[in-house]
Amino acid sequence: MIALLMPYAKDINATMNKVIGISGGNYNNNRPESEIGNFLADAYLQMASEKFGRKVDAGFMNAGGVRSYLSKGNITVGKIFEIMPFDNILVLQELKGSVLQAYLDKMAEDGGWPVSKGVTMVIRNKKATQVMINGKPLDANTVYVVAHSDYIANGGGDCDMLRSVPQINKGYLMRDAIIDYVTKLTAEGKTIQPLIENRVTNAQ
Amino acid sequence: MPSNRRSFIKETGAALLATSLLPSVDLAAMADPVQKLTILHTNDVHSRLDPFPMDGSRNQGLGGVSARSALISLIRQEEEHVLLLDAGDIFQGTPYFNIYKGEPEIKAMTAMQYDAATMGNHDFDLGMENFATQLKHASFPILLSNYDFSGTELEGKTRPYKIFKKGSLQIGVFGIGIELKGLVPDNLYGKTVYQDPITVANTTATMLKKKGCDLVICLSHLGDRYTDNKVSDEVLAKESYDIDLIIGGHTHRFFEEPRKYTNKKGGDTVVNQVGFGGIQLGRLEYHFSHLAGKKLAKAHTVVVGKKTRE
Repeated sequence: MIALLMPYAKDINATMNKVIGISGGNYNNNRPESEIGNFLADAYLQMASEKFGRKVDAGFMNAGGVRSYLSKGNITVGKIFEIMPFDNILVLQELKGSVLQAYLDKMAEDGGWPVSKGVTMVIRNKKATQVMINGKPLDANTVYVVAHSDYIANGGGDCDMLRSVPQINKGYLMRDAIIDYVTKLTAEGKTIQPLIENRVTNAQ
Repeated sequence: MPSNRRSFIKETGAALLATSLLPSVDLAAMADPVQKLTILHTNDVHSRLDPFPMDGSRNQGLGGVSARSALISLIRQEEEHVLLLDAGDIFQGTPYFNIYKGEPEIKAMTAMQYDAATMGNHDFDLGMENFATQLKHASFPILLSNYDFSGTELEGKTRPYKIFKKGSLQIGVFGIGIELKGLVPDNLYGKTVYQDPITVANTTATMLKKKGCDLVICLSHLGDRYTDNKVSDEVLAKESYDIDLIIGGHTHRFFEEPRKYTNKKGGDTVVNQVGFGGIQLGRLEYHFSHLAGKKLAKAHTVVVGKKTRE
């Protein structure tokens, strides 16, 4: 078995063991809110606004798409591949508030998905309530720019409400966005710290 | 992670124990010989060829095909009749898959002499053509009875079921896949037609029983159970007539022990699932005899990797 694996493993290790940053703590993958989910949604928000050169209101991802966690210590390229193994593209969609509400309701029904900083919601009876977007209550008639995967934008994760909304796509892999985000924070001398800040909570 | 060893179905155990205290036990055994079948199973291995990295996380050092392969070889030395099965999501999860597209995963399963597997939703991730390409490295069949692949790259590449002969036993194994719409991007499953799992599973299981199978096993990627009424292994077990065992996946659940449901015939349908990533290997031991019929005599979960023990 070792002989079978060796030729594959040699190449993998050469590219995947590269260290791109340091994690200051352990990131868990829980519902309704998780350290790893917050990290990823923030990465998508930040890198989407840089890549597309415009203001983005929120970054999201489907909870089922979070495939691994981060541990304290070195962050390698291979680790990012495990967290985001899918070759999904980071896309923008302009969503009317009413559509965004339906999308957030879907997240609530599924137990809560990762949302970027600036978004808060309370899950009550499987619906997203008390939704705040960057300090203001969600308005049904405002248009919000959101960053998430082409998989979700194409209706994956049972997000049928997004299927008909046009996508802005620059072929930017979500995995590359995470790698770029870690590289950027490291270059800026920032530590990468796990964070829970009650973005998504269950109603008591 | 502790290793579990449990024998949990005891309905005929007491009778056997009583018999074993009598001096005529050998005669009884000769009159009604017991044939053993060991079923080993995995699900949602997700390209985990190497063990989980030593990064302080709870799964560190566990899993990996080297340890699994060694464990399976050991069991094959102990047991005459072994079936090795996988319930899907072989692909996706480590860089091996991003770079080699599933080739080493399938080669490793072939080397471990898997008898059969079914497809999970992530086995579509690089398209059906890629799955078909990687199947060239497989010496085992992919079983799926509720996907119609007509007109796709997978047409003729899978089969609905297979009957395995183990000693005097015939074991029928078939596969059931999850609904792809809303889960797998439309372009990746193309013209594949998803058929109702309950209807197809029941028809297939009854056909296998009629063909004389002593045990009917469903490899399922439906998921163990949901809070809403979405079809699951639990729903299938309760709605089934002739399925003895459902080896499940998709929901990455580590079962403490197999779950037993009463099916439509009033008999038992057992469901088992062993988490993900090849961290555990399921090991079920069935005993068959003319008088006592069949029973699940033992069920273990064997942790794969550095903490392996039974």
